[in-house]
Amino acid sequence: MSTSAAARHAPGRVPGEGTAARARGLTKAYGAGETAVLALDSVDVDIARGRFTAVMGPSGSGKSTLMHCLAGLDTVSAGQVWLGDTEITGLRERELTRLRRDRIGFMFQSFNLIPTLTAAENITLPMDIAGRKPDQAWLDQVIDTLGLRGRLTHRPSQLSGGQQQRVACARALASRPELIFADEPTGNLDSRAGLEVLGFLRGAVDDLGQTVVMVTHDPGAAAHSDLVLFLADGRIVDELARPTAERVLERMKRFDGARGTGAARED
Amino acid sequence: MLKATLRSFLAHKGRLALSALAVVLSVAFVAGSLIFSDTVTRTFDRLFASTAADVTVQPKRDLMSARASGAVGTLPAALREKVARADGVAAARADVQVQNIVVVDHRDRSISPTNGAPTLAGSWYPTRHSPVELTSGHAPRGPGEALLDADTAGRRHVRIGDTLTVQAQPGTFPVRVVGIATFTTTNTGAALLFLDPAVAGHRLLGSDARATGISVDAAPGVSDAQLKHRVVAALGAAAAAYDVRTADEQAKSAAASLGTFLDVVKYVMLGFAGVALLVGVFLIVNTFSMLIAQRTRELGLLRALGADRKQVRRSVLTEALLLGLVGSTLGLAAGIGLAYGLIGLMGALGMNLSAAQMVIGWGTPAAAYLVGLGVTFVAAYLPARRAAAVSPMAALADAEVAGVGRPLRARAIAGAAVGAVGAAALAGCAAATKTGTAAVLLGIGVALTLIATVVAGPLLVRPVIRVLGAGFPALFGTVGRMSQRNALRNPRRTGATAAALMVGLALVGGMSVASASMSASFDQQIDRRLGADFTVQNANFTPFTRQVADRVAATRGAGLVVAQRLTRIAVGLPDGGRVETGAAGYGPGLDDVVHLSYAKGGSAAALADGHLALDASFAEDHGVRLGSVLPVRFPGGRRAELTVGALTEQSTTDGFGNQGGVFFGLGTLERYAPGGQDSALYVNAAPGTRPQDLRPRLEQALKPFPQVQVRNQSDYKKLVHDQISVLLYLVYALLGLAIVIAVLGVVNTLALSVVERTREIGLLRAIGLGRRQLRRMIRLESVVIAVFGAVLGLALGLVWGVCMQQVLALRGLTAFAIPWGTIVAVVIGSAVVGVVAALLPALRASRMNVLAAIAHE
Repeated sequence: MSTSAAARHAPGRVPGEGTAARARGLTKAYGAGETAVLALDSVDVDIARGRFTAVMGPSGSGKSTLMHCLAGLDTVSAGQVWLGDTEITGLRERELTRLRRDRIGFMFQSFNLIPTLTAAENITLPMDIAGRKPDQAWLDQVIDTLGLRGRLTHRPSQLSGGQQQRVACARALASRPELIFADEPTGNLDSRAGLEVLGFLRGAVDDLGQTVVMVTHDPGAAAHSDLVLFLADGRIVDELARPTAERVLERMKRFDGARGTGAARED
Repeated sequence: MLKATLRSFLAHKGRLALSALAVVLSVAFVAGSLIFSDTVTRTFDRLFASTAADVTVQPKRDLMSARASGAVGTLPAALREKVARADGVAAARADVQVQNIVVVDHRDRSISPTNGAPTLAGSWYPTRHSPVELTSGHAPRGPGEALLDADTAGRRHVRIGDTLTVQAQPGTFPVRVVGIATFTTTNTGAALLFLDPAVAGHRLLGSDARATGISVDAAPGVSDAQLKHRVVAALGAAAAAYDVRTADEQAKSAAASLGTFLDVVKYVMLGFAGVALLVGVFLIVNTFSMLIAQRTRELGLLRALGADRKQVRRSVLTEALLLGLVGSTLGLAAGIGLAYGLIGLMGALGMNLSAAQMVIGWGTPAAAYLVGLGVTFVAAYLPARRAAAVSPMAALADAEVAGVGRPLRARAIAGAAVGAVGAAALAGCAAATKTGTAAVLLGIGVALTLIATVVAGPLLVRPVIRVLGAGFPALFGTVGRMSQRNALRNPRRTGATAAALMVGLALVGGMSVASASMSASFDQQIDRRLGADFTVQNANFTPFTRQVADRVAATRGAGLVVAQRLTRIAVGLPDGGRVETGAAGYGPGLDDVVHLSYAKGGSAAALADGHLALDASFAEDHGVRLGSVLPVRFPGGRRAELTVGALTEQSTTDGFGNQGGVFFGLGTLERYAPGGQDSALYVNAAPGTRPQDLRPRLEQALKPFPQVQVRNQSDYKKLVHDQISVLLYLVYALLGLAIVIAVLGVVNTLALSVVERTREIGLLRAIGLGRRQLRRMIRLESVVIAVFGAVLGLALGLVWGVCMQQVLALRGLTAFAIPWGTIVAVVIGSAVVGVVAALLPALRASRMNVLAAIAHE
């Protein structure tokens, strides 16, 4: 990668074919004055539409904060964030809530489901909250793809961890959102169930044309993505297209060995 | 361990605050009522001790009740000379003081107190025992002058020079106010009018030769007891007809007669304290149970580190005692405030108790702490045992998911067993034929079914809330569905929370059914029995001057006028029993104004001279037959042998405190208990006069008598309803308190649920649940819990009400009515309670930071 190419294609910036979400100069600071901690330090990032993007980095690198800011869960200290053509920085609480409900799907590491609702009710929850009728054909396709047909009337407590994450995945897909955020979706699963969930996310992108952003610290999980963004100290320090677990691990090791040199690398 | 307990207590102070409030409320009512009654008792003891003469001689109070008959007990004024001659007497006065009068101003308005306190008229003898002193004007001289007390003068805007009209038993006369007398002691609320002693006997008793009592002052060096002894000796054989009392005895006797009113205040206050305690116990049990559920891991850790069960239990109980200590202390302070308020309220009613003299006996703090500590200790005992049962393994296990409780089988068995006994008692009550048995069974049944419902409450949560919340998903979509299921999540907690509301509403339900049935029964009886076009009487059924009857009879268009006079009698019965009861005397023409049905005999025989009538079933119970001759004693010691002339089939006795429904002719009554006043007049329009034409004329004629009103049948029904409502107001006040505490309980439960569900709320917010929707979700959960409590309470109350009505039916109140309006209002009200209780927890949940909530451990 030449220096000029690197300047043109700064890490995280994807040209062409449309972006599902983008951020410019995204900065998030906690605290104020001398004790302020920069979780995100002027991050520019484009999330390509129809792609599976993984965000990696050591703990405290700001990867979860990046996701929260992109998803309208957290406010930013400076910079701008767009979801599609909508600038979400500056939106009010109620508009952000609507945006999350209607245009974004979420998967969390654990506690993804409302324990009092059945699997089917959990899947359609965002649309029920909005008072919208789900697209039944699409819903059936999602449910069948995730193999949940026989579990629809079960409560979360009657489902295994893997099944619960599949229900969460179905919920994220059900409203056909512009963007799905998955925060460590395999963190609490055994490897077989984890692989299954990653396979579904992959399938959601390839077969259903969805856009997925996944935060993870597992190189194996990141290997299922199209593009891996590496975060360190609040900045995107590198990216890796068509990753494999070995190559991701290798990159990670490099950062761990030379932390704080991220800025130099960008030049 | 103590340090850990203290830390934990302080750490949970927010949660404990609501429980403490429950303790504060109940202790405040206990302490407030004790302080109030101590203060009042002390004040009156002082008042009576300072205003009583060294020795007083009065007619015997046997069967005497001025309230009922309007008759005044008197003694010969000449007795004064006999008493004055006794050794050691410094001075003796023949006093006149009556309360069977009404005083009206020049615009025919009564100047009597509105709070039910009497208007007293008497002779003006200023002594060191007088409760008042002359502060302006001069003492009354001659027949046309009077003194008025300053409080009444101020309240009714009476000035020196104004003319008042006094309606006394012997006749109405005008007086000019020539002086104002100001209280030097506590004013009990009565209005006082003083006349020249030279005319008081004539004016108020109809004779100068009569007096209502003799006041005797002791010579220096003679004790009251010695003086009493000598006075009794001086009276000789006649002493047996009189009550001779020393100042102390007189004060006690006066205090005793005032005691009934104070007792009512005291019992009402203690009733509030009881409700506060009962509901407070639920709140405390609930709070501690939740705290312990929340701290399972912490307790497990303590156990793992080597604390034994006893220590854990002691730790929880210590926390409870700390709570009780704080609550009792605050409650005691609040009780003092409450007593201040009550004393102020009494002031507004005309009873001037100086708050500066507030009496706080040692018993008050003792009772406050006993109640406060006792109730928290008892309420925390079960949760403490549960805490001690936590295994050390709990420290290692994952945090238990809230809502998974132990099975409810034990509750089901206990609830069903207690409930079955309670239901049997209620069934027994419904089937009983004796009022006494029925009332006892009712009490047992009410207590047991209440306990059973509280115990089994959590079992009813699922079925009842499924039904109550069935419409929620359709009405409120997924938010409604979630709130319904949230309420179902922890049946034990939902049940306990609702129980607090249930207790209060069960009481209200039962009482409202009983009172509605009473109203309906009275309506029925009025319809069936009252034949008169009008009744003339006053709202509190006290007697009034006979001049009213004369006025009514003289009114153009008035036909038959039948007077009713009441007295108390003691009847000796053939079965050896002796019954003291109220009895009525009626004038001729009774059949035209009241429809009585007779088993034997008729009105003519009943009202004939020397005869009486009584209720047939009472007669049967006591072996009385038509023609039996019964010894009857009247007030003032007069005895008569009266023949049973008729037996009535009254479906009820005339009222409370009356037995046997005894009545006789006015002639009989006048012979043995003369001087009484009328309690009611039954008036028919004369032939050819329409009742609606008579009414304005009657009202015009009775304008100078503001103490009586003219009522037709529907007015009379309304009067009776109003009397019954007084009972209801008290119940509603109790309910109000129960609701306040129940709201605290719901707030408590919801606040905890919100904390427990932090992550869930965070998730809901993340995937797009708006703040408003979140608030609605919590509000609906609160509403469904509150309505659940209300439905359970009302259902229980209705069952109680049916049984209470059965008891009333034994007293002849046979009608049964369910006040649907009240019931619907209570259900709606409970929903409002739910909304109010959810305000703070909902606000707190909606303010929660989404990210922090998701990350919440």
